[in-house]
Amino acid sequence: MNCAAAMIPGTRWQQSSLLVFLVVVATVPFWADDYWTRIFTGVAMWSALAMSWNIMGGYAGYISFGQVAFFGIGAYTTAVLMQKGPGWGFFATLPVGAVLAGALAVLIGWPVLRLRGAYFAIATWALAEAFLQIATAAGFTGGSSGLTLPINASTSFFYYAMLVPAAVTFVVCWLLLERSRFGYRVKAVRDHEAAAESIGIDTTRVKIQAFAFSAVIPGVFGGIYAYWITFINPTSVLAGDITDQMVVMALVGGLGRIWGPALGATLLYLVDRQFIASFGETTAYIAVLGGLLALIVLFLPDGLISLFSRGHRTALSRQLLVRLLPGRGGTTGRGGRL
Amino acid sequence: MTVLEVSDVRRSFGGIHAVQGVSFALGEQEILGIIGPNGSGKSTLFNLLTGLVRAGSGKVRLLGRDITGWKPHRIARAGMGRTFQIPALFVNMTVQENLYAAAVEGDWKTARQRTGQVLDLMTLGDLRNELASTLSGGQQRLLEFARVLMRDPQVILLDEVTAGVHPTLRQVILDAITRLRSEGRSFLVIEHDMELVRAVCERVIVMDAGQVVAHGSFDEIAADKSVVEAYLGVPTQ
Amino acid sequence: MTLFIQTVVNGLLVGGLFVTISIGFSLAFGVLDVVDFAVGEWVMLGAFAGVASTTWFGIDPIAFLPVVFVVFAVLGWLLSPLIYRVRTSHYARPALMALAFTFGIATLARGSMLTAVGFDPRTVDIGVVSGTVTIGSLHIPALRLLGFAFAAVATALFMLFLYRTRTGLAARAVAQHKEYAGLMGVNVKRVSSLVYALYAGLTAMAGVLIGGIYSITAQDGPLYTLLAFFVVVLGGLGSVGGALVAGLLLGLLEALVTVYISADYTLAVVFGVLFLVLVISPRGLLRRGLA
Repeated sequence: MNCAAAMIPGTRWQQSSLLVFLVVVATVPFWADDYWTRIFTGVAMWSALAMSWNIMGGYAGYISFGQVAFFGIGAYTTAVLMQKGPGWGFFATLPVGAVLAGALAVLIGWPVLRLRGAYFAIATWALAEAFLQIATAAGFTGGSSGLTLPINASTSFFYYAMLVPAAVTFVVCWLLLERSRFGYRVKAVRDHEAAAESIGIDTTRVKIQAFAFSAVIPGVFGGIYAYWITFINPTSVLAGDITDQMVVMALVGGLGRIWGPALGATLLYLVDRQFIASFGETTAYIAVLGGLLALIVLFLPDGLISLFSRGHRTALSRQLLVRLLPGRGGTTGRGGRL
Repeated sequence: MTVLEVSDVRRSFGGIHAVQGVSFALGEQEILGIIGPNGSGKSTLFNLLTGLVRAGSGKVRLLGRDITGWKPHRIARAGMGRTFQIPALFVNMTVQENLYAAAVEGDWKTARQRTGQVLDLMTLGDLRNELASTLSGGQQRLLEFARVLMRDPQVILLDEVTAGVHPTLRQVILDAITRLRSEGRSFLVIEHDMELVRAVCERVIVMDAGQVVAHGSFDEIAADKSVVEAYLGVPTQ
Repeated sequence: MTLFIQTVVNGLLVGGLFVTISIGFSLAFGVLDVVDFAVGEWVMLGAFAGVASTTWFGIDPIAFLPVVFVVFAVLGWLLSPLIYRVRTSHYARPALMALAFTFGIATLARGSMLTAVGFDPRTVDIGVVSGTVTIGSLHIPALRLLGFAFAAVATALFMLFLYRTRTGLAARAVAQHKEYAGLMGVNVKRVSSLVYALYAGLTAMAGVLIGGIYSITAQDGPLYTLLAFFVVVLGGLGSVGGALVAGLLLGLLEALVTVYISADYTLAVVFGVLFLVLVISPRGLLRRGLA
């Protein structure tokens, strides 16, 4: 009968509100002005970026501090290919960026994912910093002066250019991570890697696949972003702050869930825009990001979305109280989440 | 027929000789007990056999194949499963999901079927949607055992599987072991519960300080002076 | 040829400072079991403290070193319990959560300093020594010699602490066998705080000297973090002896790349070597580190 409705989780009420939400989201350029359409474009992009980090950080349990490297690859691929010389069309450049990003992930991931998580964090972080330096120094990337892309002034075009890939990202992530055995294997690697190995899961392979998947997403969005802002330079697409923002968004929203990053991204992006509107483009925002990250890890590591889960609400308040009491480190043992 | 052949396996960590030249053979449908004081190298031996730790020297043959140096997941797929001393569950997943993660690649239908079978054998059916972290200690051990069975291994290594388990659940485990053995599987069992060892194990190996100090039937090793000296485990009443 | 020897010497001298930073960092890792992403920020903050010593207080930065040590040791002492708390929490992968926490602290420090002093480079004005010392045909900047001397003294004192005091013994015990150290009566939490405080103070002091030899900007934190990682991975995570060798090696590498290739590519080369080492020998060149 209604197979689609059966696949989507939730009660009748939740399903209809989801439908309303989807309609609203799909028609933004028709009812919102240019300013807000641009805001929502940014929200779409950051939601997907935060989700990409979540694949490794939340689902596989490996923290990557180098996501921006893949974003930068996508951005520069599109920018370079759309220059007068090669003169590629916009849409054709995206798969190239995606493939390059994915290939790099496999190349880097294969040796580093065999080791402990700390090495992975270090290596990915170092990769991003190195890329930043190379892009600043090299010629074909335009060095520190950057590259300019062909102009496209249509805000609605870019809204859908960001929205559609974002929607696809979330659907694919949901299918792969919550509804397939690949997802269970990834989560098994996160929860207990040795046990996962002992039940026949090739953990290195699973990790590399997850990493490649998490790299392809920013690879695509980097390209779209480059076309959107028309002008890129190393700082705009390879700065560590971009990774920081993804990390904080995912953590604030909630790791290991599909909707967490979107929630965190929406919230933080709006806060960011408001911040800029009130204080201008300022480095203080970096401090805010860092402080927020530290606070979230200390007090709300499961993110905001954990506040919405029925069972968690009471447990969380209990946990917060326990943590605020001096000397108590929180519950131990098999208490786990509840 | 020998299903598992261990030849002079050794492993040291810096100055600590965790396993020093252990050799034994496990036959078909046999239950071999491994006992010994804490720190005698029993769990390290399991880690060596399952590939979690690299052996310094020695060989391991599983079902006729040389598996020395193989990666753990490859050994698991070759037919050896193991449980851990401290239950190694996927705590953020449900009972059912823990089992799905262990399912053989292939279609969902077979995976679901197998999950159902294993849940029934371990009497965990009612708990299938509970988070693994909410289970009692005994239920966790049952789940871990169940998860090992998803791939239908020929050789099963159990590390103190009844430690701290309620008597009713303990019986479930024992029944499972008996049934699985009659279906053709072999067991290697690390235990501190001497009553269980006497009841279930045909042969027993005693380890102390990384070496095998005695082996034979339970009565034989119980009478062995060196065993009594190394470690005194009195059957509980 | 003289240029080569000159470069080598310069590199090794500054390598001493990298050793100082990395030894503390390596021990902090061993004791707290956390990779401190804020290590470079301690260097940066220390360097700016060195700048402040002349511009605000009119004291030579070298004389100011003890103050720097105390201030940052206290900061480290205050921060450490938070790291410890995250590290010992019951959430999935607490080690990586703690890493994310230190990353947040590092970002906070960087953002705050950027807002406070902007992007401009500053140099620590060390007046105590200046110019170059001539040995044979080599002209060695006196500052580098001073830096090396400091590093040697600081490292020696640190090793003395580790191997000749009871607290140092406790620290090593915790680094090697956390669970057992606790059982033997060692207050793991307090030892962790002490070690972290020492490391922060030490690293900040090294920062003063680095800020004198090179200039410093508020954005340089990540650079020094990367270099510290490099040393520690090359030398083996947790191995103090390895940090010694690798620190000097890094100084050498950095000097050679700057002179013979270009300063623009130092990071890329460092990463390349780091990556190679991780692939070939993840436990460090001497294979003493934790896998």
